[in-house]
Amino acid sequence: MKISNTLTKSAFLLVILFSVTLSLVTQTVNAGNKHLKFNYADCPDHKTKLAGLTLNNDKNAAGDRIKNTWIKNFQTIVKNGSNKLKIIDLNKENTSTTFQYLSVVQVKSLKALIKTESENPAFATFIPVIILQKVMSEAEESLGSKINWLLIIVVILLIMVIFLVISILSRISDIQGKPAINWNSLNSKFSLAFILLGMLAVVWEFGAHSKLTVFNEGPASEHGINYDNMFMITLGLTGIVFIITQGLLFWYGYKYKSDGKRKALYYPDNHKVEFWWTIIPAVVLTVLVIKGLLTWTQMTNHSNKEARRIEIFGYQFNWATRYSGADNKLGSHDFRQVGKINNLGIDTNDSKAYDDVIVVNELHLEVNKPVLLAFRAKDVIHSAYMPHFRVQMNVVPGLPTYFSFTPTVTTAQMRTKMDKPNFDYILLCNKICGAAHYNMKMKVVVDTKAEYEKYMSAQTPLVANKVSKPKAVVLK
Amino acid sequence: MSDHILHAEHVDHAEHDHDDHEHPKESFISKYIFSMDHKMISRQFLITGIIMGTIGMAMSLIFRLQLAFPNMRFSFLEGILGHWAKDGKLDPNFYLALITIHGTIMVFFVLTAGLSGTFSNLLIPLQIGARDMASPFLNMLSYWFFFMSSCVLLFSLFVKDGPASAGWTVYPPLSALPSAIPGSGMGMTLWLVSMILFIGSALLGGINYIATVLNMRTKGMKMTRLPLTIWAFLMTAVLGLLSFPVLLGGSLLLVFDRSFGTSFYLSEIVAEFAGGIERTGGSPILFQHLFWFLGHPEVYIILLPALGITSEVIATNSRKPIFGYRAMIASILAIAILSFIVWGHHMFITGMNPFLGSVFMLGTLIIAVPSAVKTFNYLATMWQGNLKLTPAMMFAIGLVSFFISGGLTGIYLGNAALDINLHDTYFVVAHFHLVMGSAAIFGMMSGIYHWYPKLFGRMMNETAGQIHFWLTFIAAYCVFFPMHFMGLAGVPRRYYANTAYDQFNVFVDMNQFITIAALIGGAAQIIFLVNFFYSMHKGKRSVQNPWKSNTLEWTAPVEHYHGNWLGEIPHVYRWPYDYSKPGAEHDFIPQNIPDEGQTDPMQEPHVAEVERRVKVDPVVA
Repeated sequence: MKISNTLTKSAFLLVILFSVTLSLVTQTVNAGNKHLKFNYADCPDHKTKLAGLTLNNDKNAAGDRIKNTWIKNFQTIVKNGSNKLKIIDLNKENTSTTFQYLSVVQVKSLKALIKTESENPAFATFIPVIILQKVMSEAEESLGSKINWLLIIVVILLIMVIFLVISILSRISDIQGKPAINWNSLNSKFSLAFILLGMLAVVWEFGAHSKLTVFNEGPASEHGINYDNMFMITLGLTGIVFIITQGLLFWYGYKYKSDGKRKALYYPDNHKVEFWWTIIPAVVLTVLVIKGLLTWTQMTNHSNKEARRIEIFGYQFNWATRYSGADNKLGSHDFRQVGKINNLGIDTNDSKAYDDVIVVNELHLEVNKPVLLAFRAKDVIHSAYMPHFRVQMNVVPGLPTYFSFTPTVTTAQMRTKMDKPNFDYILLCNKICGAAHYNMKMKVVVDTKAEYEKYMSAQTPLVANKVSKPKAVVLK
Repeated sequence: MSDHILHAEHVDHAEHDHDDHEHPKESFISKYIFSMDHKMISRQFLITGIIMGTIGMAMSLIFRLQLAFPNMRFSFLEGILGHWAKDGKLDPNFYLALITIHGTIMVFFVLTAGLSGTFSNLLIPLQIGARDMASPFLNMLSYWFFFMSSCVLLFSLFVKDGPASAGWTVYPPLSALPSAIPGSGMGMTLWLVSMILFIGSALLGGINYIATVLNMRTKGMKMTRLPLTIWAFLMTAVLGLLSFPVLLGGSLLLVFDRSFGTSFYLSEIVAEFAGGIERTGGSPILFQHLFWFLGHPEVYIILLPALGITSEVIATNSRKPIFGYRAMIASILAIAILSFIVWGHHMFITGMNPFLGSVFMLGTLIIAVPSAVKTFNYLATMWQGNLKLTPAMMFAIGLVSFFISGGLTGIYLGNAALDINLHDTYFVVAHFHLVMGSAAIFGMMSGIYHWYPKLFGRMMNETAGQIHFWLTFIAAYCVFFPMHFMGLAGVPRRYYANTAYDQFNVFVDMNQFITIAALIGGAAQIIFLVNFFYSMHKGKRSVQNPWKSNTLEWTAPVEHYHGNWLGEIPHVYRWPYDYSKPGAEHDFIPQNIPDEGQTDPMQEPHVAEVERRVKVDPVVA
């Protein structure tokens, strides 16, 4: 029981240690100001609805006035109830998304800011708290704290019981003069059981879970067919090696356990065997390398001049697309102009940009039409990942990257194929980029030619009057 | 060197002549804290590593809870984490901090310092027949740099904006700009300080290991008579010495970018976002090159010692010579050399030149050949053996199993084409947790169970060890094997929750299963911890050579003396793998037993016996 006492003591000590050492730190008004500036840098569309979005211009007196107005407006919105909150909800992606993902420390600093700025401090505290509660309300499910503590206690008790058994066993073996459990023979049986049950589990898992993977419905792009071939060849070869080597390992563990009579075979070397088991893997890998190189070269070939150029612009935490318009040329850009109204930093002097179309958070592709995606990032490295098309490319600030491919299955066809009427292709961020990394996604729609043209004609080019008819945006 | 030996012998005599307490050299501080004895330093590394490992594991359990139950509140978390888990809901920023610190702790503090630091320190002098390291003082410094580094990293958990949260690979600009993520403020600064101290520790240790192995081998200990553990530690140290300075340089440049307004890694970042100074002209990809130039050898810095330990444990407990001793050395060398030219496979989708990608792909897949040779040699060593399935042996078998499973998925990821759709998904998480995480941890566990008698003079409880093995082994497979399928469905790693994605919601059950398995695996480590610390004082006393092993450390007395052997250092007359030699009285012949007429063990006339036994055995024939 000595052990259990020490265990309980140490567990309590640990918990106390953790809770004591982590404490809140008071936040300054400046920190709150900073967070607002960063998190509301780029929402030009909603100026009229929420004046606070222009908080960036807080250097002059006008900015200060606007800031005050915004805070008051915000308070009114919150005060008037949930009806008005819908404005925020509707534009969540662009406006208050980042509020959701602020840490509690940051929210505190915002509170401090609002408190100083507000005329009526009583209202001030409502704002962040209410928004935060909205987020929390999504997490309705809850386990009572008692159950959690109970679980921990149960685990601790369980471990104590294990130790009691172990100590009893060792007492028995001390008395008997030989081990109470013959682990040698037990382990050899366990080895056999493990490999048999383990292989069954692997087979079951392949049956149950491979249909959840993107390989189940097949690729939605032209190069994806080669990709899937390459994958299946690798799967076959490695699968054979996996079964043989794992099987032998645990079979030997079973078969060659010491029985106290046999002597092991003194067998330090066999050059012939070693030669073959070096050469065979080398040959198999050569096959994989050659096949892999061919696939890789094909997948990284971006020289198709016919491809439609589309720019994917990544920023914390969303995607924007820029279609090149009728001239199939993307206007140049300058990072110094990013922000404010010109969210993507497009060079306004470049006439090639006039017919470009910018859409936030949705990408339309035309089926069987090659497309060249050009990637650009505003702040940190993102990665544009489209698993159904077998496409992924990092999106790096200051370093242009490309990926060209041809989608072959429309969204509608894929929905029928998968029998999921709500299915949508996605482009998701696959490089850690900040708190809302996990929510940085974009819907991808593969249209037929007619649908695509219809969609594009409904979009407004950057400089509308430069192009007489909206339809002219989509030539070819 | 000779001065040092004389000094050590003097201490030995002093210990015998006088009472310990009266002797000034054996004060508490010089014996337990600023010790220069490699055995004590080894214990210090081990216990620090175990503590760090426990913290790292606890972190993983916390974020596993979040991944399995994204909509549930765990109010006890608020008690532990305070405002980072308000109302029992983990903060997304802190989730990223947890995965970052978990990765950093496990890769560097547990599997580099904890593994290499412990066993290189313990085994190099004892197995080559030396009184201590070439420089005991540098050795002590190495530990204290590591200790400071650990303290700084743990301290960073308590700063205002949280610890570093840009992933353990700390790619800029995310890690360079505090406006990108709160963790890139003070937390990241401390991470860098910690890492720089850590590199200092690794370099001091590495120089020492190399110098000791090359210069201080006892008489008769030719390089071709070294146990494979020593070969592995030697190559590990060489890898570390060549690659860690690159990370040091990379980290310093990151410090400049963060604190002094330079733009080594920053390009086209507006002033507003970059702390008031416009940053342009650098390249974020440069950091990735520098990082992975260390990062990939680092994988082998972690893995090679584990493989070395496994070679020794499997040979001893199979009562057989390791199969293909020279091929094993050759594969260690091949892996070590190749590991320097494959770093680019972590960067296939950074937009690198496709030709460069092809080169890195070629190198990466070639590494599979020496790795396969090692696996086959382990299997051949066990074949026709006389297996003693001790906990150490079971963990060694577990390592081989993980090494196969995780190594095979490396063939997918090393293939640049396949990497396009698998990069940064759970497939990668599964791959490296099996081949590098679980395999190396199992190597470390195997080493702990095997050399515990040497470290503490007592035995660990076997039953607890076996239970620990089976629970951990099964739990590890249950945790990591299903992750492959999530990766193949395109689930990205480092996601706080997958609830926003319809096609990922089908994995809710799997995520819960994984978390439950992880909790069971975590609970199993408590068995280990109690066994470890309890046996230190209460375990059964060990005999001098409990595993009937051939290597020199078992010729040293059970009690620890600064200087290892009381009398003369034993001479070496044979290779370390004379197990079950035909004609010998016992099934082991230690290296220090003279053998006048011995020929090369590889060339001995045992062929007839082999042929006879092969005919009997239907499995391989």
